[in-house]
Amino acid sequence: MRRATLTALSLALTLALSSCSPAPAPQTDTVFAMDTVMELTVYGDEELLGEAQALIADTEARLSVTREDSEISKLNKTGSGTLSGGTAALLSRALEICALTEGALDITVYPAVRAWGFTTGEYRVPGEDELSALLKKIDYAAVKLAGDTATLPEGVLVDLGSVAKGRLGDDLAAFLTENGVTSALLNLGGNVRTVGAKPDGSPWRVGVRDPFGESYLGILEVRDVSVVTSGGYERYFEEGGEVYWHILDPATARPAKSGLVSATVVGADGTLCDGLSTAVFVMGLDRAVELWKAMTGFDLVLVTEGGEVYITDGLEGSFTLSGDYKTKELQVVRRG
Amino acid sequence: MVKTRTLVTIILCILLLAIAASLFLWLRPAGGRVANVYLDGELLYSIDLDALTEKKTYTVETDRGVNVLVAEPGRIRVESADCPDQVCVDFGWLTDSAAPIVCLPHRLVIQLTGETDVDAEVGG
Repeated sequence: MRRATLTALSLALTLALSSCSPAPAPQTDTVFAMDTVMELTVYGDEELLGEAQALIADTEARLSVTREDSEISKLNKTGSGTLSGGTAALLSRALEICALTEGALDITVYPAVRAWGFTTGEYRVPGEDELSALLKKIDYAAVKLAGDTATLPEGVLVDLGSVAKGRLGDDLAAFLTENGVTSALLNLGGNVRTVGAKPDGSPWRVGVRDPFGESYLGILEVRDVSVVTSGGYERYFEEGGEVYWHILDPATARPAKSGLVSATVVGADGTLCDGLSTAVFVMGLDRAVELWKAMTGFDLVLVTEGGEVYITDGLEGSFTLSGDYKTKELQVVRRG
Repeated sequence: MVKTRTLVTIILCILLLAIAASLFLWLRPAGGRVANVYLDGELLYSIDLDALTEKKTYTVETDRGVNVLVAEPGRIRVESADCPDQVCVDFGWLTDSAAPIVCLPHRLVIQLTGETDVDAEVGG
């Protein structure tokens, strides 16, 4: 009888425990910063969120082009400046990405972005003369960085917005990992950084937004990576029946029309992923695939104007089409 | 022996309760979509969209500006706003919980709760 009792008791306990999952409650926070809204989900101490907020505030204070007292604004205003270590390192990394994308990413495109009104929402189409004058001031190679001192030629302005959130994700992930966190999801406004996997060990599921609809076209199952998308469908304006989006081609100072409507980069280096997402959108399918073949450390999800979806083979098995896209054929790009 | 029988009865009750609780957790409906409206990260309204029977309008006004929200059975949108970029208005109807409507200039976020099969969404 005693054995029966024990068996029944352990059975009851097992059932009782399995019916309510023992996963720890996540700490969450919403932060308005860097021209976006960020959602932080951290499985760990609540105190870590406060320090994460401080890291975000510091990044914005150093890098923002709209804050007059930021290091970047001061550099832009005076043409030279001594940068803090973190800012100098990011500028240096950004210039490397500009070089390896052969200028498809160019951190000096900012005056043109401003002229089109994308920084203020007061959109306009600049005239031909204005565009050719702007074009002359787009040249990342003219930015000089010696140690922590940066100098710009007259009229050249830099904006690290194309890599800032990626670097912030890397910094936040490093900070959380150092403090023992093994599971976190940092959504920095459509620029997602994952730390580890979910508490139950399964990968994080990141939806890639459908450029033509309101839901997502596919789901990435990932851990310990950044996922960054650049597209022309969220910030744009229409004038005279023409659509003008916010990603400009540094070679023309006009919105980049490369045949891609969405470019997603997945990889462990969030700074690289962030910079490459813009570059790949500007490059178009063929050049993007060439770049991917020449490098390692990242994978791509590309959507063309015609609605075709391409992935690079590193994502085979972790990307699945969803919704209306389920019936489409997924094109897998391979090396060699 | 009476003692043992009592014990067995108690254990059986626990067992039944555990089964009932598991079934409840597993089988409860995932519906009941609720739109949470946040202003500067603070919850302002919690609107049960599936309980609505008619159109309802909410006006959110702060020093930063005004957003007029319209909720209908199962969906919600920003009908008008005096923000410069109009991103919140252009978003259209919010029908799933994957991505929220965000009005950055006014620090307004509208997020649907409920079942979703993703943890985050990327877009540009």
